[in-house]
This record gives sequence, C-alpha cells and structure tokens, in this order.
Amino acid sequence: MSFQGHAMDSTLSHLILRNCEIAYAITDDALTVVEVGGEGDILCNDHEVCLGQSLPDLVPELVGLEDVLADILGGDLPRFELAWANRETADGQTIYLTLVELPYRDRTGQIAGILHVAQDVTEMGMVDRQLAQSRNELRLLQDQLTRQNLELAAANAELRRLDELKSAFVSVAAHELRTPLAPIRGYVEVLLDEEVGSLTGDQREYLQIVERSTRRLLTLTSNLLDVTRIEAGQVELVLQSTDLHALVEAVAAEYGPQLEGRAQPLTLRIPSDLPPALCDETRAAQIVGNLLSNASKYTPRGGRIAVTVALAEEDGFLEVSVADNGVGIPANDQPRLFDRFFRAQTALLTGASGAGLGLHITRSLIELHGGRIWFESELDKGSTFHVTFPVADESALTAIEPARSAET
Amino acid sequence: MRTISKKICLLGDFAVGKTSLTRRFVYDLFSDKYISTIGVRVSRKTVAIPVGGDVVELTIMLWDLGGSEEFNLMRASYLRGAVGAVLVCDLTRPGTLDMIRTYADELLSVSPGAHFVLAANKCDLIDHQRLAQEHVESTAADVNAPYYYTSAKTGDEVETLFRHLGRLLIA
Repeated sequence: MSFQGHAMDSTLSHLILRNCEIAYAITDDALTVVEVGGEGDILCNDHEVCLGQSLPDLVPELVGLEDVLADILGGDLPRFELAWANRETADGQTIYLTLVELPYRDRTGQIAGILHVAQDVTEMGMVDRQLAQSRNELRLLQDQLTRQNLELAAANAELRRLDELKSAFVSVAAHELRTPLAPIRGYVEVLLDEEVGSLTGDQREYLQIVERSTRRLLTLTSNLLDVTRIEAGQVELVLQSTDLHALVEAVAAEYGPQLEGRAQPLTLRIPSDLPPALCDETRAAQIVGNLLSNASKYTPRGGRIAVTVALAEEDGFLEVSVADNGVGIPANDQPRLFDRFFRAQTALLTGASGAGLGLHITRSLIELHGGRIWFESELDKGSTFHVTFPVADESALTAIEPARSAET
Repeated sequence: MRTISKKICLLGDFAVGKTSLTRRFVYDLFSDKYISTIGVRVSRKTVAIPVGGDVVELTIMLWDLGGSEEFNLMRASYLRGAVGAVLVCDLTRPGTLDMIRTYADELLSVSPGAHFVLAANKCDLIDHQRLAQEHVESTAADVNAPYYYTSAKTGDEVETLFRHLGRLLIA
C-alpha cells in the first residue's frame, strides 16, 4: 500500500501545521507509522526515526487504548480525542497537547490506517493550569478556614459551657453567702441599738466595724448576683415614667451619711421642668448610686461632688452627670474601665474597697435601658461620668392607658 | 518471563497527592510545592512481579488525572482502557474520602472488572490527620480495595501500594 500523494506535503499545509503547532502521523492498518509531518518536536525529534515505529510506542497515551484504535480502524468510532495530555520536555517544562485519533482513508475511501493529530496547546494550558491552581489553592484555604472556624466554634462552645458553670457557681456562692448576712446584720443592729444591753465604747466601735464589713459583703454579693443575672440575660426592667429629680434626691439622701463622713459636699443641679424618664426606678437608683459611691470613694476627704441632670444633646434622652475632683483615672486604664473585675491603678492605690464590678453592672444596666455611659477623666483632677435615660413619652403613655382601660 | 503492559489511573480529589505518589513511585522524587494537574500526565514504570514460579515484567502506564471537577467531562475518555486505579484520599481532608466511591464507580462504568487499591495519603502529617482508620477501612471495603497509609513525602508504602495493584492486575 502506498500513501504517496496523500500526504499533506504542500507548502501551504506545512505552513498551517507549523503555525498552529500541529504534528501528525499516519499509520497503516497495523498501526505502523508510515508518514510524519507538521511541527517538528511534538511527536519526535527526528521524523525519520518515527517511521516504521508502532504508533502507541510513539504516543504513550495510546497504550491501553488498542480497542479504541481498533474501533477506528473498523469504522465503528469516527474520532477519539484526549485533551490536555501533559508532556515533560527535556528541560523539565510541561507542555500540553490535544491528541486526536481519526480514520485515515485511501483514495478509494477505505480506512487504511489511523491519522494521529497532536496540537500543542501549551499557551492555553498554562493559563488553564494557573486558573486551576488558583482555584484549588482557594478551595484548600477555604477548607482550612472552615476547619478552623469549626475548631473555634467548638472551643467557644466549651468556653461558654465553662463560663456558664462559673456563673452558676458564683450565683450559688453569692446567694449562699448572702443568706446568713441578713441575720448577722440584723443582730448587729440590735446590739448597736443597745436593745439587749448597753455597750462600752470599744464594743460599739468593734460592732460598727462588723456592721460596715457586713454591708460591704452584702454589696459584693449583690453585685456578683447582678453580674450573673445580666450575663444570663435574666435582668428584667420594670420601665415606668420616673421623676429623675426625685430619684436623684433620694439617692443623694441615702448616700448623705457616707458623704458627710468624708466631708464631701454634694451639689445637685436639677432643673424643675425636666420631663420624666422611662426607667426602672430600682435599677436607675442603683446606677446613680454606683456613680455617686465611686465619686465619693475616689475623691479625697473634703473633695467636691456634683450631680447634674439635664436634657441630653441626643434627642429624647435625659443625662445624669456625676462629677468629682478626685484622683482621676490614668489614661491607659480608661479603655478597660467597664470590664468585669477591672480596677484602675488609682483605685488600688487609694485602698478603696471594691471588686471591679460596679461600673460593669452600671454599663450593662444603662444599656438595658437603651441609654449609654461615658466619662471624662484627668489624673489628679477628677472624673465626670455621664449616663442617659430615655425620656418617657407621656403622650404615648396617656394614649395607651385609655385603650387598655377600654379593653378591660 | 512474561512482559505485559497495563493502564492504571490515579483518581481522587484535587491536591490529595496523586502526582506526588506517581513521582515518588516512578522517579523516587518529591516536592512540597503544590502544582495543579490539568488533564492527564502519563508515566510508565516497569516492575518485576513474581507469579507462581515465574516472574512477570509488568509495565504500568500510570495516568495521573487532574483532580479538579472542571475535568469531569473529559474523564470518561481518560478512563478508557484502564484496568485498575489507585484511589487517593488525603488523611487531612475528610471530604476527600467521601468521594472515593464516586471515582471507583466512574471507572467501573467504563471498565467493569477494574481493580483498586486505596491510598490514604499524607500519613506523615500525623498532627493534622482527621480521618479515623475505621472510616478508611470501611470505604476501602466498600470499593473492594486493599488500603495503605501512604506518604509520597517519605515514600512510606508507595512501592507496596503500586506493587499490590500490579499483582491484582496480573492475577
């Protein structure tokens, strides 16, 4: 059988093949290569050497595909293509080929062999590989992030569990400590009131120490209970229209003895025409009381304290400010001032009692009211703490009341 | 001595180490750098396998297929003529084991009598392993394949794995 005259040996054909980086090989029906052409290196370095070889020996991708080639020779398969066949060049570079197997027909139209076409598509392959590489690296990163997120979520869940356990313990401990404090305090008061006999000066002094310590312990246990309730979301506010003027005066009266004891004059600046605030009276008193107590604690004997109530700059809010000319808060402590159990350096130096819970509770409570808390402070010059409470919408309240009445 | 050639494929998700296993087996080389394979890279290695009193010289044509799903459509043409496969999963990525059954089924659909071995790869990354041996074992049993904990990096069990598949192919 001769293939002379069938070969694509025209100048034009060779030009096209070379420009498109295509090589071809034609075999006889025994898969022996009888003609090679096109771009030189794709099939083999020396075309002459290729002649007479078996096609699968030249093209490793065809090993194991003998049935495919037989199907093409038998006319049962019109075409077989392998895309992105990787080859490694002598210098270690990868080239990409598209391999196509077609029936080769003689002049009579009979299938006389296989036309093997190999096109070098390295340029496109490199782009594709880069894309695949980026995509895969991204997926690996995503997998890693997902895994890390899961690990973090598990660690968080464990931390939450431990935190809940701790809160439950603190709550129980605080409650159990608090229970015996009531009778202790009660009996100390009975003794101090000399209901069961007169006291000597020393006995009175010692009992007063017991009474003060009991009160401190009571405050501490109350604060611990508050913190656990706040963290558990168990604090419920009974919001009602509240006269802040009266509330602040009542708190000031409550703290009067403490302030007098430290010779700290208190100034109240409260206009008489303020609208009422919408707040929980008990909690609002606790908030103002905490601020007043802190002002007293961190202001030296004889220092000045002022409480101001006014309309806040923010519409719909009232602002309560408690100012002192005390020790102030160091700048580096200020960002952590509302953290649980945090005590500023100056607080530690003054020797004032406290567990670092008051401001944390105050902030939580004020935020539950929808208000906010902030402060200005300068070391050795004093601090001013501000809190805001929403103004009670009287018109809305009065509008709601008749409707409620009508329903009932 | 009999001399035969068999085509096998390496199948598994992207970046499980198919190319690295091939390079370790064929060239005894390893690189930590991850380079995606697109399409197919054919390598060959001849191993002598004793069978009864004889030795068979088996030329294994290894088809290392790109693991990205973008090449799923072309995979059928790559799989034609393969009589076995190394199914590869990555011990540090549990999802890669879940896909093993799919790859095995793909080959079985074009080559019903195909043989498999399962490579639970990257066993050198002990601290990052997230696949329980029972899970690997049950997946291997599911596709009727012996399994090996391999490391292309250290070479652990790589030769054994391919030789085991070679024995299955000529049995």
